[in-house]
Amino acid sequence: MTARDTHVTGLDALLPVPLGLDGLDAYRAGMPQRAGALTMVPVWGPSRPGIVPPRSGLKLRRVVGYGQVELHNGAREGVAIVPLHIGYIQDAAQNHALCSSALLAAGQTRRFDDACCVQAGQGGYLEGRDQWFFVLPVELRGKATRLRGRQDYAKLWPDITALNRAYGLPSRGHLEQILSRERATLTQFQSRLELMPGQLGALFFVGDKFAGLELAPDPVYFAEMWMALVCFAYGVAAWRAEPEPAEAEPYDGTSLAGLRAELARDRAAWVERVASWMPAQDGDVRLVEEERYLDLRLSTVTAAHLTGQVVTEHDRLVYASVFADR
Amino acid sequence: MDTPSLLQHFRTHDTPLVLSRGGDLAWDDAELHRSAGDIEGYALLALVPGALPWQRARVLLRTLAESRDGLDDRARATLAKVTRALLFGLPPEHVITVLLALRRLRANHKHVTRAALAFVLEHPDAGELIEARRPALVDCFEHALGKATARACARLVRAGDTGSGYLRRALLRFTSDPATAIERVRALYAPGTHGAIAPQEPPAPLDPVREHTPIVTPTNRGDIAATLVHLYRGGPAAELRPALAGYVAEATRGLPRLPANVAMVLDTSGSMRGYGEREWAVMSQAVALQLVLDRVCDRLTVIETGDADARGPDPVAGAAARGLDLAAGAGAGPGGGGGGGEPRPVGATDLASGLLDALESRPDLVVVVTDGYENLLPGDLARVAAALPRAGITTPVLLCQATFTRGDDLTLRDPAPALPGRPFWHQDDFAALLPWMFAHCAPGPDWIKAAMLARLEGGGVT
Repeated sequence: MTARDTHVTGLDALLPVPLGLDGLDAYRAGMPQRAGALTMVPVWGPSRPGIVPPRSGLKLRRVVGYGQVELHNGAREGVAIVPLHIGYIQDAAQNHALCSSALLAAGQTRRFDDACCVQAGQGGYLEGRDQWFFVLPVELRGKATRLRGRQDYAKLWPDITALNRAYGLPSRGHLEQILSRERATLTQFQSRLELMPGQLGALFFVGDKFAGLELAPDPVYFAEMWMALVCFAYGVAAWRAEPEPAEAEPYDGTSLAGLRAELARDRAAWVERVASWMPAQDGDVRLVEEERYLDLRLSTVTAAHLTGQVVTEHDRLVYASVFADR
Repeated sequence: MDTPSLLQHFRTHDTPLVLSRGGDLAWDDAELHRSAGDIEGYALLALVPGALPWQRARVLLRTLAESRDGLDDRARATLAKVTRALLFGLPPEHVITVLLALRRLRANHKHVTRAALAFVLEHPDAGELIEARRPALVDCFEHALGKATARACARLVRAGDTGSGYLRRALLRFTSDPATAIERVRALYAPGTHGAIAPQEPPAPLDPVREHTPIVTPTNRGDIAATLVHLYRGGPAAELRPALAGYVAEATRGLPRLPANVAMVLDTSGSMRGYGEREWAVMSQAVALQLVLDRVCDRLTVIETGDADARGPDPVAGAAARGLDLAAGAGAGPGGGGGGGEPRPVGATDLASGLLDALESRPDLVVVVTDGYENLLPGDLARVAAALPRAGITTPVLLCQATFTRGDDLTLRDPAPALPGRPFWHQDDFAALLPWMFAHCAPGPDWIKAAMLARLEGGGVT
């Protein structure tokens, strides 16, 4: 590997085996990028055209009542895959997040009665204007997945409170304390890490721990998820683990060629280190189908230390959001 | 003279010159100023935009306090011009402090006399200054001419003399406007006015007046970048490119050529594109700097550090290490993918490899222009830069962070803190950025002298 290589084969081996998901062998991984404590390995793979992306196609129509969120697929054609744990923020309104993914046909409006409020004590309902979306921080995603189907808008408040407390913030069920007030810092992750051309997925690591795998149907869909994933789903944990700047240790090379070789060696070692952070797959991976639309199947994945949801079509992966859990 | 260090000091060390009640002069960096050789270059360095007023006052003090014996006519003429620029380009209180310090130092050179009289008699705000600072200005005036001569002149003026032989020899030969000078002398020795307020602003500011906009947008950061933003957005190249060439020519008019090989490591990663309302702003300002350097440097080698392999089929945008052709792609802008010459930002940020590539051309200077987000991998640039001395490479390497506004938080955007660095966000920043950059390479000090002389002679400085 030269210092310039950005499409490495070394990490290709990461994807099929450790996560135990069928269909991953069609994907390949690239050179890991790092920003503070957050490492992102870009993933390329087969596109599945015709899936409506979340920002340009999917809209929050309204919040019917606390814990009840209505989404609408406004596209004229194409099914929308609702991203797992998507949430919406709007000033002076109850911010909500969903506990599961979903498949919405073109033109369809669906009410989710098991949404969770992420802002304790804030009055008002979200309306479909002046809003931006996020994905729940990875620390909350396992619990949110387990709470799917339970109609209790306050069900995530204890976990949000604990998360805030762990981060030295006031003990409240306000996710807004992190997402909005730290937005200027968190949103830098979308520049600190670079979305690669054609990229439709990523592996995320916080520190030296696997944090999640995200695969989208195509690069456009992934690009629309980029900010929500790097800044909020995984950026929050990385923000709290931001390392102190260290003094630069000079490379040993005594010529330009020597320095180039040192740089390449260092990067190869880095790729190997990242590969070693993948979780070992011990035990079964269980897939439970949640819903289907034509040949698309939405399933919940559970495995040792991993949870998430995937969408498959004829045993081929179309969408995946699988993350470290407990 | 260590030009980069001195320039950095001029830009950052903002303590005033202090004259105690007893007249003792205190300046904590006197040794640094006194040790700067090449008095002509030292004086011209004070004119570099961004030098702090109290630093410029120190330069005025030193250049006036020293004898000019042994200097050739050209150097004397330069010093005279710089002196005049500083006299009227500094806040008046700063100049008064300098003139009083010269009195305390008993500096009695002819050039001190001329400077003091020019300030007291020819300052556009002399009327208000005399009202507010009469005793101090009388001291300066009497130091310039000698107390007895000054008072004799004042008596003659009070008596109605406007041009006797004595008055001409003693006073009026130092001024080009005898009538005004006589009025000033009359005012100097007239009764004072209690509570008059001295003017604070210089009549001829040394630095260009900057545009202040309450809201920064991608297109109000200078004409070059604004035009590039429109090109990136896919605007009509046939209209925009000639305008761009004109703006670059305007920005570089009067600047001397730098006889040096400069390598620019240009971050063309995806983050340079920006997003939302800021889209294209940072990339455009970085390219604006590239265009200006291309006009000024004898040789500019550009190494793009985005993911060239990932750019796809655009052969123009994928080319690395090339110059820009302002006339390129007259049919379409880069945003439309029609062959424009501007770099297309995409992919990850590998600044370390870019630096190594840049050094291959054995440049006199390497300038790394980036938004500061290094992700392949963070710390690599710093490690390579730290290793250069051991590899026998002494080429100066600088870091220029392209930002959206002057208030951007750069905490997470400094990929190599040990490298000399400066942020820039507006075309107006180039006036200070170029001298700072060039100061680090061997031909730089002469370039700065030539550029500042051109400013003096071109009307940029009074």
